[in-house]
Amino acid sequence: MGKYVIKRISLMLMTLLIITLMCFILIRMLPLAELPPGDPHTAVIEARREAAGYNKPYLVQFGIFMKDVFTEWNWGLSDVLYFGQDVSVIFASKLPATVMVNLYAILFSIPIGVALGIFAALKKNTWIDHTISTLTMVCISVPSFVYAFIIQYFLAYKLGWVPFLMKSGNDFFSWPMFVSMIPAVLSLSMGVIAGFTRTTRAELTEVLTSEFMLLARTKGLTKAQATLRHAMKNCMVVVLPAIFGEFIAIMSGSLIIERIFSVPGVGSLYINSINARDYPMFTMLTMFYTSIGLLASIVVDISYGFIDPRIRMGSKK
Amino acid sequence: MKKISKRFLALALASVMVFSLAACGNKDGKTPDGTTPATGTEPQGTQTPADDTASYTYRSAVAQVSANWNPHTVQTEDDSWPQEYLTTPLYEFMFNDELHPVEGKEPFTGYSIVPAMAASEPVDVTEQVKAEHPEFNLPESATAGYAYTIDLNPNATWQDGTPINADTYIYSMQQLLDPQMINYRAADQYSAPFVIAGAEAYAYSGRTVKVVNSVDAEAMRYQVADLVKGDDGTYTTPDGDKAYFGLQEGYAWTGGDALAAYYEAGYIEEEIWSALSAGMSEDGFVPVTDDTMAALYQFTGSDVWGNEPEEQLGYYMSFETTYPEVDFSTVGFYKSGDYQITLVLSQSLSGFNLLYQLAMNSRSWLVYEDLYESCKKQNGDAWFSEYCSNVDTTISYGPYKMVSYQSDKLMRLEKNENWFGYTDERYQFVDPEDNETYQMYQTTAIECEQVAEAETRKMMFLKGELSSYGLGAEDFATYRNSEYAYAVPAETIFFFIFNGYKDAIQNREASEGFDKTKYDLETMTLKTFRQAVAVTYDKELFASTISPARTGAYGLVGTAYLYNAEEGSRYRDTDQAKQVLCDFYSVDTSQYASLDEAAASITGYDPEKAKELYQQAFEEALEAGYITDEDGDGICDQQINIEYCVAEDSDFMTKTIDYLNEKMTEILVGTGFEGKVAFVKSAPYGNDWSNKIKSGMSDVVLGGWSGSVFDPFGIIDCYTNPAKQYDANWFDATTVDMTLEVAGESITMNLQEWCNALNGNMVTVDGKDYNFGADLVDVEDRLHILAALEAQVLSTYNYIPMLNDGGLQLASQQVYYVVEEFNPVMSYGGIPYHRYNYSDTEWTEYVASQGGELKY
Repeated sequence: MGKYVIKRISLMLMTLLIITLMCFILIRMLPLAELPPGDPHTAVIEARREAAGYNKPYLVQFGIFMKDVFTEWNWGLSDVLYFGQDVSVIFASKLPATVMVNLYAILFSIPIGVALGIFAALKKNTWIDHTISTLTMVCISVPSFVYAFIIQYFLAYKLGWVPFLMKSGNDFFSWPMFVSMIPAVLSLSMGVIAGFTRTTRAELTEVLTSEFMLLARTKGLTKAQATLRHAMKNCMVVVLPAIFGEFIAIMSGSLIIERIFSVPGVGSLYINSINARDYPMFTMLTMFYTSIGLLASIVVDISYGFIDPRIRMGSKK
Repeated sequence: MKKISKRFLALALASVMVFSLAACGNKDGKTPDGTTPATGTEPQGTQTPADDTASYTYRSAVAQVSANWNPHTVQTEDDSWPQEYLTTPLYEFMFNDELHPVEGKEPFTGYSIVPAMAASEPVDVTEQVKAEHPEFNLPESATAGYAYTIDLNPNATWQDGTPINADTYIYSMQQLLDPQMINYRAADQYSAPFVIAGAEAYAYSGRTVKVVNSVDAEAMRYQVADLVKGDDGTYTTPDGDKAYFGLQEGYAWTGGDALAAYYEAGYIEEEIWSALSAGMSEDGFVPVTDDTMAALYQFTGSDVWGNEPEEQLGYYMSFETTYPEVDFSTVGFYKSGDYQITLVLSQSLSGFNLLYQLAMNSRSWLVYEDLYESCKKQNGDAWFSEYCSNVDTTISYGPYKMVSYQSDKLMRLEKNENWFGYTDERYQFVDPEDNETYQMYQTTAIECEQVAEAETRKMMFLKGELSSYGLGAEDFATYRNSEYAYAVPAETIFFFIFNGYKDAIQNREASEGFDKTKYDLETMTLKTFRQAVAVTYDKELFASTISPARTGAYGLVGTAYLYNAEEGSRYRDTDQAKQVLCDFYSVDTSQYASLDEAAASITGYDPEKAKELYQQAFEEALEAGYITDEDGDGICDQQINIEYCVAEDSDFMTKTIDYLNEKMTEILVGTGFEGKVAFVKSAPYGNDWSNKIKSGMSDVVLGGWSGSVFDPFGIIDCYTNPAKQYDANWFDATTVDMTLEVAGESITMNLQEWCNALNGNMVTVDGKDYNFGADLVDVEDRLHILAALEAQVLSTYNYIPMLNDGGLQLASQQVYYVVEEFNPVMSYGGIPYHRYNYSDTEWTEYVASQGGELKY
């Protein structure tokens, strides 16, 4: 197991390096925004690019970037979007809002999603199952921004129960802030609930029809005991990694939901950095999100072994 | 400057943002609460202070909250927004009223420029500076307009009370131009027409840069003949600077498109490009040598490029120069007293133009020394400053100060109690409604929140949470007649550009798969056909159908353009301009009581004339063999599909094309083209749309030009300058001569020469020099030339004006402005003239009393 983890981490670092290098070069190859011909600011922009080293060969620039990161933990200063500000500080200042909204959404969604999945599986092929399955499909099919507008229209505009937008400030644990996050949390939750419901139902349905479940019942366990002790445990082999994945993904934010509810998070940071050719911001975000993605896949893979001891990672036997 | 219909949405948003703090409201008769007449300080009225205890918050929503408002580095409109409230310029625009009278103008119909951070008007000291400071190289002949002393307002302070004096200005300007800082706004201090002596040399001090040989597509710094060939075969300027062709440079001469782009588009043959680009550096420059000149000329001198003469190779050239190391003392900006600075210019400026430039530019000058120094940091070789990026690094010297800020979320400004203007009589106005005198800036706080979705903004507005709302197309049916709706016209004219590039059209017809028995394209090159199109559409109806915020357009120069900024006189209101439209739309002026009435009758829609012209075009097309009528039914056998060039598909495009087809179908009934002409949507061309139009590969597009609202003369260059023209491939302005009577002399020049002379360039004709630039000839003569040029361009029918840009805004019932009429310069007065019907507390109660949802 240890060897397997080390191997995966080594591969992860190599993958990270390759992806970062590719993105680093590709973003620099994008054409710059055109200024009107004869615009005197063109020369200033050119001079700044020269001073920032953007006219050096790409690999030299990449070397400088890596050196700055590993020797000084210097991720660079934003030179377009947040001029002169440390990109890591900007990112760190925006992360909490994204994390809080997504965290609430997951904490709200997991119990509901899993419970609905279990309920649907236990009531398989009844009207309850059909209703839950239909609603699940609707929730998965309809994009989250549609819920967002519906929720905003009814809860904020018509009923006035919640504000239109997330409250400003960093008091993330205050009641007004919590209330202001409800529309965004609900909008994000719909899809997550539906996802967990579907996964749980599918897995549990399969497990419930397994022979060992029949054995459990013949041993004298009640249906509830058999479901809880045996079916749920097996079902979780698939559900739990999905939960881990969701937790890791909360840092990526949601471009649309953050935009609609004015959540000052990281959702739009990546796309804005590409559009604005803010190289330091883009490179830092690339490394961060690539790391998160790679780490998530390792964690999920390893988690299988912990959840189900029958699964062995890296074993040659 | 280039615009296209795909940007309509962006333009609409931009209009909204421009107006977001310039909304106006109706005065519903309710006086602002708590106002009490004071004893008279001025003969015109009495000052009426606002209630000190009440709060009046202006709440606006923007798509993007400013991220950095450092006056030296700010680039975008979004970012520069707070400057209007955190800074004060040397001179400010104010409405004319009894306190700021303008001779011959009714109150609130014009504006005056009033000293603000300055104590008085600038004093011309050109003679004195010329004698005492030869280092500024003022022209020998200069007697005025080059150097000024400006007395500074001694009451001006930073928000912490620190005085702002001449030292503050000198430090700030030194930092702004600092060669190490490479500030974006530095360029504004040495760009025509506002050129501070020595500013560019100091900003570039010690730096090696490539300088474009021709910045305005007209004048070249060096002619090709001036270049000197070196031993290595490369050419240099007479000063020894190495000359290059910039293959990836967007030169003005090529309208901003690089030669590399023309190569990629297939204009430049592979063989020529290989010879030209051999030895090209990573940044796209090749040294000027005999070989590269020959290769480039092989292209520019060819038919494809319009047979340019060899001397015009200079338009594709840059040269590398190293600026000598100089210090700030060489800059024409120095302290001449504790509260006085002297400004030395390289290009003369005076009167309104000087004050206007100072009003616009000086907001980007001042920084607070201690704070600015503490915000500097270096990354690699580049210097940055965090100045003005959050509350802690922001210090105001304007009417408001920043009290809270969250990046990408919200900004809140509150009154800066140390701002001199709150106790300054210059910042008062007389409300024409009640004739009372008020101090400007009743607004006690401004909140600007990021709300990306227009639908959310509308709901917030209706709940009383925003002070204004920019109407979207879907809102017009509901709100366009609201008493709270205010129009904001803009200067851009959107016109149809019709494909007249016969060679390209013939090539398209000759291509495989084009069945000439079924389709035809050549008919649209007939002038008669385009003339018919010009009178097929009611412009106002077109505007109200597809883009209700805009109005119909009839000429090439929009209604917002002022030819006399001081007096606010509009070109479109002149007799010359009206006559142009009457001629273009064949209005018989003798049938009307006045020229005004005749011009006002124009709608752009004349069905009878259109039918007549279509029939005439049908006959011409038959005769030319473009179309056939084999069955003799009087209707052409071919379908004429006019490709509507689409950059990006959208509902707007669909609506536009549907409208065009509907009206076209109606009007073609009974003509030879009945049921045979249709606009069809192209594939989405993205940024390549303009190339498609220019090269005749697509047939029509709704495009436009915008320029400075103070310069209607400059905009005509877009129609006569091949570097800018959309129709350069089928209309050569240098081949069309025009004779005009100017200052009693009959002069004949081609259109491009007339345009150049009109815009201040010296043009030599038959050995005689002409320059009809501003202040060089009578303005009536300039209007006469402009109108003649507009008439000539319109008469080609390559451009058919359709829309005058603009927006529509709803103002909250909480607020109102003192003016009802839109002013092209002052808009509706902005925050300074904003008045309130309700304080914040009253407003909350009022909204609740309306059931939480307001009706507009």
